[in-house]
Amino acid sequence: MSEPPLLAVEDLVVEFTTEREVIRAVDGISFEIHAGETVGLVGESGSGKSVTARAVLGLLSSPGQIKRGQIQLQGTELTESGWDDHRGTISIVFQDPANSLNPVYTVGDQIVEALKIHQGLRGRTATTRAVELLEDVGIPDATARIDEYPHQLSGGMQQRVVIAIALACDPDILVCDEPTTALDVTIQAQILDLLADLQRDDDLGILFITHDMGVIEDATDRVNVIYAGEIVERAPTDVLFSRPAHPYTRALLNSIPGRTPPDAQLPTIDGEVPTPTGPASRCRFAPRCPEAFAACENTAPTHISIDTDTATKTPVSEEFDARESTVEQSSPSHGAGANEAATRQTNRSAACLLYEDSTVHQQPDSQ
Amino acid sequence: MADVDTSTGVDGSTDTTDHRRRRTRNNTLRGRPPVAWLVVGAVLLGLQAGALASFVVGLLADSVAVFAGGGPLGTVTTLLRAAESTAQSLPTLLSRDLVSNQGYWNGTRWVGTFLGLEPAAAWGVRVALVYLYAFAVAGWAVVGYHLYRTRYRVADWTPRDDVIGRLRSHTWGIFGLIVVFMFIVMAVFAPTLGPTTVEENMRNSYEHELDYWNADTGEVETVLVGEANLDSQSRGNNAERVLPFQYDDYNRFHPFGTLPNGRDLFTFIAAGSRISLVIGLVSVGLSASVAAALAMITAYYKNRVDLGAVLVSDAIMAMPQLLLLIMLTSVLSNTWLNDIYSGGFLLAIIFAFTGWTYMWRSLRGPALQVAGRQWVDAAKGFGQRPSMIMRKHILPYITGYLLIYGSMTLGGAIISIAGLSYLGLGVAPPTPEWGRAINLGQDYVRTGSWHISLIPGLLITLVVTGFNALGDGVRDAIDPQSDAETAEQAGRGGGA
Repeated sequence: MSEPPLLAVEDLVVEFTTEREVIRAVDGISFEIHAGETVGLVGESGSGKSVTARAVLGLLSSPGQIKRGQIQLQGTELTESGWDDHRGTISIVFQDPANSLNPVYTVGDQIVEALKIHQGLRGRTATTRAVELLEDVGIPDATARIDEYPHQLSGGMQQRVVIAIALACDPDILVCDEPTTALDVTIQAQILDLLADLQRDDDLGILFITHDMGVIEDATDRVNVIYAGEIVERAPTDVLFSRPAHPYTRALLNSIPGRTPPDAQLPTIDGEVPTPTGPASRCRFAPRCPEAFAACENTAPTHISIDTDTATKTPVSEEFDARESTVEQSSPSHGAGANEAATRQTNRSAACLLYEDSTVHQQPDSQ
Repeated sequence: MADVDTSTGVDGSTDTTDHRRRRTRNNTLRGRPPVAWLVVGAVLLGLQAGALASFVVGLLADSVAVFAGGGPLGTVTTLLRAAESTAQSLPTLLSRDLVSNQGYWNGTRWVGTFLGLEPAAAWGVRVALVYLYAFAVAGWAVVGYHLYRTRYRVADWTPRDDVIGRLRSHTWGIFGLIVVFMFIVMAVFAPTLGPTTVEENMRNSYEHELDYWNADTGEVETVLVGEANLDSQSRGNNAERVLPFQYDDYNRFHPFGTLPNGRDLFTFIAAGSRISLVIGLVSVGLSASVAAALAMITAYYKNRVDLGAVLVSDAIMAMPQLLLLIMLTSVLSNTWLNDIYSGGFLLAIIFAFTGWTYMWRSLRGPALQVAGRQWVDAAKGFGQRPSMIMRKHILPYITGYLLIYGSMTLGGAIISIAGLSYLGLGVAPPTPEWGRAINLGQDYVRTGSWHISLIPGLLITLVVTGFNALGDGVRDAIDPQSDAETAEQAGRGGGA
């Protein structure tokens, strides 16, 4: 991790200005992707995952706008210099393959279109390369398939073609926005295997966006859990699944089918993701949080570095419940950046008051 | 073609790859080019080679002459003109000379007409030949497409196949297609179809002569066309008036009768159809390109660009269109613009200027919809240029709408052109224009010369209906769901 990251997103804020209100779909997200690693971004619908992906690619369409923050691609600040010179270095695979392919052109045409732009290939060489790419993504009989239209392919094949187009740009980073959501489970596994193979071959950095915890567990090295535009927990995948720190992560993991005893009812998280309309003044998960206490309602938590060992300690929530809040009304945004930078080094952090500095919350008699 | 269908459907396999392989193998087995089809095409082309060559060379010569003036290109112009006259001497089947209806009665038989037939029959043969030829070419094209679709195209199905299938079963649309096709044939073959020519009958009638059988003296005599016209005027109930399908006193056959100034109405209408079509096509072409370009730009960039276009088009739409047309035609009537194509080009520009707004409004919605599709984002994502995204990924989806609105606007343009020339504006006399024929005949509507206004009026109605029907058909074919929508709108209109 000593080498600079391929992609570094720092304190990204995306706002949608409508006539009624300003919606902060992404509120201060930071993450890094290094070569050869897969970083997951997981959260429910409406939590800001796809907006993050679009912002990173510079594809936000009006009224969405990057309000604040940096997106650094291999050291270049994209929010200043624009995306146009870096197209292809970072490629995207969308959720619905049927929609990301233009139905009036053959798959060959569409791969060649990208090849023309990024590798300057034309004519027969471009076609040959396109066939190679189709073979790389595991499409049998590629020479024949290249002249077919998207509707002649199955969903899994279409997604392979979309990946081939993304690869035609010779990317360093692949942003996969729910690439397997529209596919059935077997095909999903094949696509995940394919992505892993490609990553091994080209040392790709992958940002993997999904709502499916199962896919996250299979496909990623590190995970960022996003809730209402904020990352609430970041951790290496295995740690996240074995010892989740944030109550939201725990709730998410509990609600994966198959992890509960067969006769028990599947736990759910009541309520829905709020639509953030301004800077956070409290923990956004508090209304749905089983472990919330009074302080959660008036303090926005910042990321606290969690030592992998100490995080296993029992959360101290029960102790807080009965107690009236003695929390100082400290402004959450002060020093947040510095705090963030420090915590990212440790690899594991959560934005939850449960792990807030003990001098603030803990009273002497709790020991 | 039947064997293709059976061979592909025989084993009932649905696997596309196998299907494709089989198709390719069949092609190599049956790898012969469509010889018969090509031969028929060559014959059809050969029949009209002279006319085609002289048209192309003439067009080249005209455009070179416009841009070159004198100078070094002058010699090129001369050469092209020489080539044009050579091309004109090439034989063509559908020429006035080969099937001539212009002859005279020498007391015992017809002289100078095709096979000695009487002029009406000779003219009928020529018109029939022209339309037979036109339908043969159309049929040849349809067969060609069918061959391509069943034998040579790699994909067994494309969305366009369904569109064509739906259009084929759309009776009203087919009616429109046939009317429009016949109108276009009339415009293209205008000089051949007329029983006489604009040059001889209208522009320089006092420089042309004709022979005729003078019943009084019992001899063949010669008279200037202009003077003959004076004796064939249809002015109310006068004795000399020439009604449709009658001969005048000079052995000339008038399929639609004569105008009040004695000129041939059919020739007038045929030539006028060409003017109407050219002006209509140019104006619709211009407004369609403006509308399409603007629709793509506003859909791609949205926001301020879109707002600006909305404001501009609203401003233009807010002006009363007819008054604006009248003002622009009279203000610009003394400029060089008005000299091109008897003022027709100016009309086309004016129509385009006022017409693009409506078309853009209709295209804006579909364009916005397409611009929001994911493949547009995908193309942006891999760095395609905006102009290429518009051309490759948005344009194909709005061309259908362009066809529909273009077809409907063309009908409207033809009415407007006729309306303006009815008011004495627009296309300058003596260049024929349908609206002027109506204007010329309006004093005689309630007299024995009823045909002068009635025939062009009916034709305008028919042609415009045809264009609208074609537009309806194309719309229903492209977007099958639009049927319910229009019914709903009609219902609302009835309630209001």
